[in-house]
Amino acid sequence: MMSPTALLLAVLLQVGAPTPPEAQAQEAFTIGKMLRCPVCQGMPIAESPSPMAQDMMARVRSMLAEGQSREAILGYFVERYGEWVLLEPTAKGINWGLWILPGVALVVGLGFVARTFKRQKPIESAAAPTAANASDTLKAIRDEVEL
Amino acid sequence: MKWRNVLWVAVFTLPVIFILALGFGHDPHEVPSVLPGKLAPNCQLTDLQGKPTSIVAYRGKPVVINFWSTWCVPCEAEHGVLQQAAQNFGERAQFLGVVYQDEAQNAERYLKRKGSTYPQLIDPSSRCAIDYGVAGVPESFFVDPNGIVADKHVGPIGPADLARAVNSMLPRGTP
Repeated sequence: MMSPTALLLAVLLQVGAPTPPEAQAQEAFTIGKMLRCPVCQGMPIAESPSPMAQDMMARVRSMLAEGQSREAILGYFVERYGEWVLLEPTAKGINWGLWILPGVALVVGLGFVARTFKRQKPIESAAAPTAANASDTLKAIRDEVEL
Repeated sequence: MKWRNVLWVAVFTLPVIFILALGFGHDPHEVPSVLPGKLAPNCQLTDLQGKPTSIVAYRGKPVVINFWSTWCVPCEAEHGVLQQAAQNFGERAQFLGVVYQDEAQNAERYLKRKGSTYPQLIDPSSRCAIDYGVAGVPESFFVDPNGIVADKHVGPIGPADLARAVNSMLPRGTP
């Protein structure tokens, strides 16, 4: 069993410890997936083989090694390439429309479909031939033919 | 009743048409530049002989920073225009070439063949290109005497556009 002092020391050391290389590489890849390669077509820099994208990935890695946060790194690229460089636009300003409109369109669409079905059902049930109706109709046709 | 349906269809289709019209009005390959109006990034570069230099060292007069490469075909067409303009403006403006995604030896050979009248700088790991938000070559940035990016030109620049951009940064009354 670890003493409280040793536990506190271990936690403090962990806080100050650098991020393990695997975690840093994973974080670099995650950030690279968020950034658009400027010389490719809609491809993230993490997946692009172009030298420019690789240089951008190297910049991401070096900034992470300097201890910069994900937000700071994304901000660095946005300052230079604009919001365009983000493959997923940030939810602010006019961009809110991009996040809200699909949901609104879905709700409105479903409402429209539900309303249409609701209106059509009584008509269909009224028009649908029942067994009794069908036999009456057949009887009427037979009577007419026999006459 | 029918007019109500038409109204509903219009309410939903018109915004879609508007959004599509906005989208089709833009070149999807065009990378918007956010630098004009901002302080030009100060890159640490080296000349073709490996001597370190920085862009801020040229502050005080209009600076034209041209990103180019020996493998870029449009850069070849632009090369003569830039060299001629650099000669015409002389001491009134500073022209700089930044070699993009290329080797110093290739640039040296190319410039020996084609001629060069202004400093050519090497950008290791494209750090300067990233700082300027470069998305391909050629790209030219026009930095005013105060170090503010006045304009950016994507693609090979013609003599008239180049002269206009540099003249707009010259102090009034400059011949």
